[in-house]
Amino acid sequence: MITTFKEIFNYREMITSLVRKDLRGRYKGSVLGFLWTFINPLLQLLVYNMVFSIILRAGVEKFYLYLFVALIPWIFFSAALTGGAVSVISQKDLINKIYFPREVIPISYVTSCFVNMVLSFIVVIAVSLISGVRPTLLALLCLPIIMLVEYVLAIGMALIVSALTVYLRDLEYILGIISMAWMYATPICYPLSMVPDKYKNLFRLNPMTDIIGAYRAILYDGKVPELSTLWTSVVLGLVCMIAGFLIFGKLKKHFAEEL
Amino acid sequence: MFENDQNDIKKTTQDEQEIAIRVKDVKKKFKLYYDKGTSLKEKALFWKRNRYEERTVLNGITLEIKKGETVGLIGHNGCGKSTLLKLITRILYPDEGTVEVKGRVSSLLELGAGFHPDLSGRENIYTNASIFGLSKAEIDERLQSIIDFSELGEFIDNPVRTYSSGMYMRLAFSVAINVDADVLLVDEILAVGDTNFQAKCFNKMQDIKAAGTTIVIVSHSLSQIEQICDRSVWIHAGKIKEDGVPDNVHNDYMDFMLSLRRNNVSLAQMTEEVQRAMEEKENTENALRSEMTPEQLDVVEKGQELRWGSREIEITKVTVTNGKGVPGKFLDVGDAIHFKVDYDVHKPLGTVVFGVGIYRKDGLNVYGTNTMIEGLDTLYIDKPGSFEFDVPEFTLMPGRYVVGFAIEYGQGIPVDYWKTSCEIETFTKLRDVGAVRIKHSWKLPDNAKVDTND
Repeated sequence: MITTFKEIFNYREMITSLVRKDLRGRYKGSVLGFLWTFINPLLQLLVYNMVFSIILRAGVEKFYLYLFVALIPWIFFSAALTGGAVSVISQKDLINKIYFPREVIPISYVTSCFVNMVLSFIVVIAVSLISGVRPTLLALLCLPIIMLVEYVLAIGMALIVSALTVYLRDLEYILGIISMAWMYATPICYPLSMVPDKYKNLFRLNPMTDIIGAYRAILYDGKVPELSTLWTSVVLGLVCMIAGFLIFGKLKKHFAEEL
Repeated sequence: MFENDQNDIKKTTQDEQEIAIRVKDVKKKFKLYYDKGTSLKEKALFWKRNRYEERTVLNGITLEIKKGETVGLIGHNGCGKSTLLKLITRILYPDEGTVEVKGRVSSLLELGAGFHPDLSGRENIYTNASIFGLSKAEIDERLQSIIDFSELGEFIDNPVRTYSSGMYMRLAFSVAINVDADVLLVDEILAVGDTNFQAKCFNKMQDIKAAGTTIVIVSHSLSQIEQICDRSVWIHAGKIKEDGVPDNVHNDYMDFMLSLRRNNVSLAQMTEEVQRAMEEKENTENALRSEMTPEQLDVVEKGQELRWGSREIEITKVTVTNGKGVPGKFLDVGDAIHFKVDYDVHKPLGTVVFGVGIYRKDGLNVYGTNTMIEGLDTLYIDKPGSFEFDVPEFTLMPGRYVVGFAIEYGQGIPVDYWKTSCEIETFTKLRDVGAVRIKHSWKLPDNAKVDTND
């Protein structure tokens, strides 16, 4: 696995250029172009605001913000999961014709989603500040750490599902459902306090629970997240990434034949 | 940068360092599914039906290529040469055995990998070169030479979608060839751009070779390989059949291919049929041998077969007439000779092709042609008849020749392939030498005296 890491490091420029290509290509041809990266979350916010402050009053103060700070990280994770699954398949021409460490493909896909999320966070932070949340400097400094934890977890998941999808194409559609179920199993639309006590430990096993909780602590409560609760996510994230590299490393050998 | 560390360690042993590519006992099978199901439903429901045929593409290849060597891989379609190249590239992994390659590999298997049509040529250079594992600094360093080589000039900043296909290939080729790889793998090169650019590519290949890069080329063009390579490896049915100096290997390869073609295996059919054809050939030969007179056997032993085909149309008689209009098989070198071939139709087929082949007694195919090669009308035959083959000057030097006639159907399916349908012998009183008396004349100096002693 060390050799794989070294190799991926040597191919870092490929990751950069694939990410650049993806980001630049994403809104190609649209009038507003790259601005959509910012407009999109803003429009989403507008919709949530209308729904939750006019129709569905959930009893949570500033529910639109409560939802928004959790939803943007979730969208990243879910994209990494469902889009990551087909990332390898969609690059089959490249895989059939040329050698490079195959890990580069899911990694650059996830990275591209990640960069998109980071950019969206400019909007999130702005909205948070406008809404009157005053996060401490220390709290804001924790933000990159949380993002990194989520990134590691997403990479691990993407590696696993992208390799498996090559052999079992149904996974692409199964993951659509899994991702939806996962979203409701994570306190995104509701606070963790609403979960019955006997299920709480189960929820804690979900690495996304604490990650989302941490984002919310920073940008909704303006507090430093309790890093002690984040340990499960860190460990699970790392385990997932290592498993991802191992599984991918095993399965990648027959990619060219299966594609 | 990590690679360098590794290399330094490896350089400690001289032998290790010298070998750039080491392929050891490599076997590779492909699964050919009859009806492949990759979805869950199909896998679950039809797991028993998931039948496949395993085809061994490489069956125990061992090959060592030294640093700086230029090697050509040859063989007919489907022999496994491209698979071997893909194994060396690490696109495929062997089922058994190992493949080791030292240093950075660049391949011209896929030109323009990862090109994005909306991005400019310059931006695409970065993407494309990065796929070969170059860092940004390394690409910056090579950028100018890539642009220069591609001859794109100011077009380099236009989006790639505005390029002509020639420009596209030129750019792609320039990137691949400027990677400065330690090992360069090439599949069917130099079909890029116009003749000028091809010549330039060819020269560049020579430069790369001179710079000590290890090059492996897969090509159907033997002359290309002869021009660039020091070594040629002939792969047949998943094994190395011959490995050596290109000239020698290619000669044997050509002989082999001709013998296959003589057996009516067209190039397109060769892939699957090569094995069967070889077996059939052996069987017919053995069968025929047992029925043959010693004289016929002599012909066969010289590497020729007698007659085969489906015989819906059958050659009944071949009449040989020499220049004086006299039937017979003897003639002087340079005389006219005339063949008349009568045939009978048992069952009309589609359009047929008539062919002829002339073999020297040592088995050399002196000449062969057919009506399709020469673009003559293809004929639909439903009644018995005859065709004629006329040679105004038969200039083959003294010896025994076997002349065969054939009727083929479609793309080389033998209807009646009578390879030893007749025999002729040529004589001459002159003592000139060689295989063929080329039509010629002399012009002697007119200021010299004629020696009358003789």
